[in-house]
Amino acid sequence: MHPLFPQTTSAWPPKDTAAVLQEYCLGKLQVQIEAAGFGRIVKELRARRFDTWEWYQLARRADRLAAAQNQTQGLLALEHLRERWQETGVIPYEHQIRTAERVIHELHGQAILADEVGLGKTIEAGLILTEYMLRGLVKKVLILTPANLIWQWYYELYEKFGLAAGIQRTPWDWTYADVLIASLDTAKREPHASIVKSIVYDLLIIDEAHKLKNSSTASYRLVNSLQKKYCLMLTATPVQNELKELYNLIGLIKPGQLGSYQSFKRRFMADKRTPKNPRELRQLLDQVMIRNRREEGTVRFTERIVHPIIVALGPREQEIYLRVNEFIKSRGRRAGPSSMLPLITLQREVCSSFLAVALTLEKMMASLAEAELAEAAALLKDLAEVKQNSKCDALERLVAQFSDKAIIFTEYRASQEYIRYRLERAGYRTLAFDGSLSRGQKQWVRHLFQREAQFLVSTESGGEGLNFQFCNLVVNFDLPWNPMRLEQRIGRVHRLGQMRDVHIYNLITKDTVEEHIMYLLHKKINMFESIIGELDAILLHLNLGKSFESEIMKIFLEHEEREQIQAQLDGLAEKILSSRDEIRAASWEG
Amino acid sequence: MSIRQLVFDFFALCGHRPIEVCPGVWQVKADDGLMQALDGWRAQGRLLQFSFQRDLAEAYGAELISPGSYRLNTILRLVQGQGLLSQAHIPHHLFHEPGIRKRVLAECAGTGRAYVLTSSAHFGQYLQLELSAQARGLQKKESLHTIVVNLSSGEVLKFAFPFHLLQAGSVPTEQIRRRKCSLKQAYLKAAAHVSELWSQDDQSWVEQALGKMAEEEKKLREFYQGRTSTAEFTAKLQELRGRLHPGLSIRALRGAILFTPLFRYRLVVVSASGRERVCTVMYDPIANLRELD
Repeated sequence: MHPLFPQTTSAWPPKDTAAVLQEYCLGKLQVQIEAAGFGRIVKELRARRFDTWEWYQLARRADRLAAAQNQTQGLLALEHLRERWQETGVIPYEHQIRTAERVIHELHGQAILADEVGLGKTIEAGLILTEYMLRGLVKKVLILTPANLIWQWYYELYEKFGLAAGIQRTPWDWTYADVLIASLDTAKREPHASIVKSIVYDLLIIDEAHKLKNSSTASYRLVNSLQKKYCLMLTATPVQNELKELYNLIGLIKPGQLGSYQSFKRRFMADKRTPKNPRELRQLLDQVMIRNRREEGTVRFTERIVHPIIVALGPREQEIYLRVNEFIKSRGRRAGPSSMLPLITLQREVCSSFLAVALTLEKMMASLAEAELAEAAALLKDLAEVKQNSKCDALERLVAQFSDKAIIFTEYRASQEYIRYRLERAGYRTLAFDGSLSRGQKQWVRHLFQREAQFLVSTESGGEGLNFQFCNLVVNFDLPWNPMRLEQRIGRVHRLGQMRDVHIYNLITKDTVEEHIMYLLHKKINMFESIIGELDAILLHLNLGKSFESEIMKIFLEHEEREQIQAQLDGLAEKILSSRDEIRAASWEG
Repeated sequence: MSIRQLVFDFFALCGHRPIEVCPGVWQVKADDGLMQALDGWRAQGRLLQFSFQRDLAEAYGAELISPGSYRLNTILRLVQGQGLLSQAHIPHHLFHEPGIRKRVLAECAGTGRAYVLTSSAHFGQYLQLELSAQARGLQKKESLHTIVVNLSSGEVLKFAFPFHLLQAGSVPTEQIRRRKCSLKQAYLKAAAHVSELWSQDDQSWVEQALGKMAEEEKKLREFYQGRTSTAEFTAKLQELRGRLHPGLSIRALRGAILFTPLFRYRLVVVSASGRERVCTVMYDPIANLRELD
């Protein structure tokens, strides 16, 4: 403690309670005389602790200066954070500043921030939080996020806003920390729920708020019962499936804004998904929701440059591939759609690594009939004997050209381990990143990757929630069939804050299903070079009987010829693009 | 109010003297304690280079101190955490005692005559409060008020207190006259005075906020139709009113006890009829109050 500032720790930040000494009405004005500040003065007097007259006078001048600053209409946070943002390379975008100003001055701190993916909703929320804190309007803050985003929030707030938030670990943390980040799933469980409900929050921030779309869930009920002055809900997809989801979300922020559910249905719903009176609906939504879209010129993203690398399999590999393919097709026809999932996995793995196929096949053997067992066993034996992996050879050649960090994505743990083995053998420093890592471990791996290692070999599950803008090279060792998963991969590096063009290297095995997938994702719907946006809504709108992957598998099983398969994929791509247009045409977003 | 002056005064009170290393750019050797007080417990002492001009700050890599800047905010926050309670006094010698004595005698004598038996110097107590009044409504407004309350009479001073005469420090305890008004009463009176000032201002913002609140409340009641007796509705209504009801919050930021001179005279007053009466008079030159003790 500094001898000159004996009260610093106890007096700032002041642990004032909002106790009111006296309350009365003066005309229509409700007057509250607060006890806390005066209580502290009396406490000092009783202890006979007097500050010097010079400090007192200086503090009076500081009070006046701070009050004058608070009267400004613009955002104080922008000037306050200017130097920090220069150091950390944060450039606030016009739409983010506009959003923060609107939330504070027009929406009175109650808003759904529904910007499309990658437009910086976290920055907007942090800006609003900092502004409120600077103006002294907010002190007790709760940030509820999915568990895998807790550390990301912590780092964002610390690095970009200089706020050292607490992370909830014990029931004690709820009352102790002024700015607390917690998992929504933890908060809704006892004993936490009772504690959280008893606290009055100045600001509540909920990330991934679409998880509250269903009003009958425990999460929804918890958030609905929290006592809060201001509330921000962050989601890129306020409507995922039905308009009722939007109604439920608005009900949390401002109950009654859209009337009762019956009147909402009558006035604004043509059917479950299609709105009517979109203009009127939009007017009402404008009072509680801000949605910035990419095509509105909000942000200039760097380019995505795609490099397809065609890998030819060796003769032995080609032979094994065909045998696995034949096994999948024959079993697919016999078993029917009910046991499609393991076959889809096999079909995808065969383009990744035979090691992955062998592991899945071994698991499948437990449920195979006698007749199929011999065939599978023979196949397994041959798979084990293949020593060559042309894709990994190509990967080694590719990374030898890199002078910068790269993320190598694969969908399978077996492939991940094999890639790491090959790269480490070649003298590179690699790190593994996957769903088995805890939150802290993921952050640590990210930190190590940023500072030391050259390659991060990541599985799909590891790709969610963490951002790697410091890296601009992405290698897709295998291609996911679902465009959503592909977008999630690229989205880890190609997002706000990425200053360089992003290079995407796709390793495609020649004459395999991967070529067809590349044809669909790259040539037909141009996934790599453009950002489709609202992909999840589009896929839901497609109303496929099963998953997107099943739909593709069905095409592969039902058609043999290359041209036939391509014609079917053309049809699917056409459906995706027309769905997008339909969604936009009928959108409540206008 | 000069930011520059405030910053230099701050460093001076911390025992540091910034050096102008080139025109407009200053350096100060801040120790661990100062940096930790400014930037938190993780900070370490360093050479703090600052400027009040953006171009110079950018050119020399100095920290910018201007309205809203991080460094100014940390200094303001630190300074505002200090000086919660202080004390000052006005010495007796600033007043011309013979003149006061003459005046007291003249006033007490009336048609008769009066003379002083004994006289003594005392100090009365005033409470100076810095109050912040925050108006809550659709927009937030804040104003600061310096209110001085006479702790002997319990009255809020309606005239300007001679702050320029104040000198730092306390006075001998035995000379201090006991206060008749409690600090809490004084605070409530000061706050009531501030609320009176606010009520005399333009009240259109109150009407606006009430209108908005009524509109929102109507929507809420429609939403909870048939369920308005539930605890959930009550909580939501309370939340809404808490957010939109126009109100004024008054809180004390800091306070100071001001000791002001009191002149006490024990007099013999002889009336025109020759009757003698002994009385004690206390004169407060600040409030220009004379009272019989």
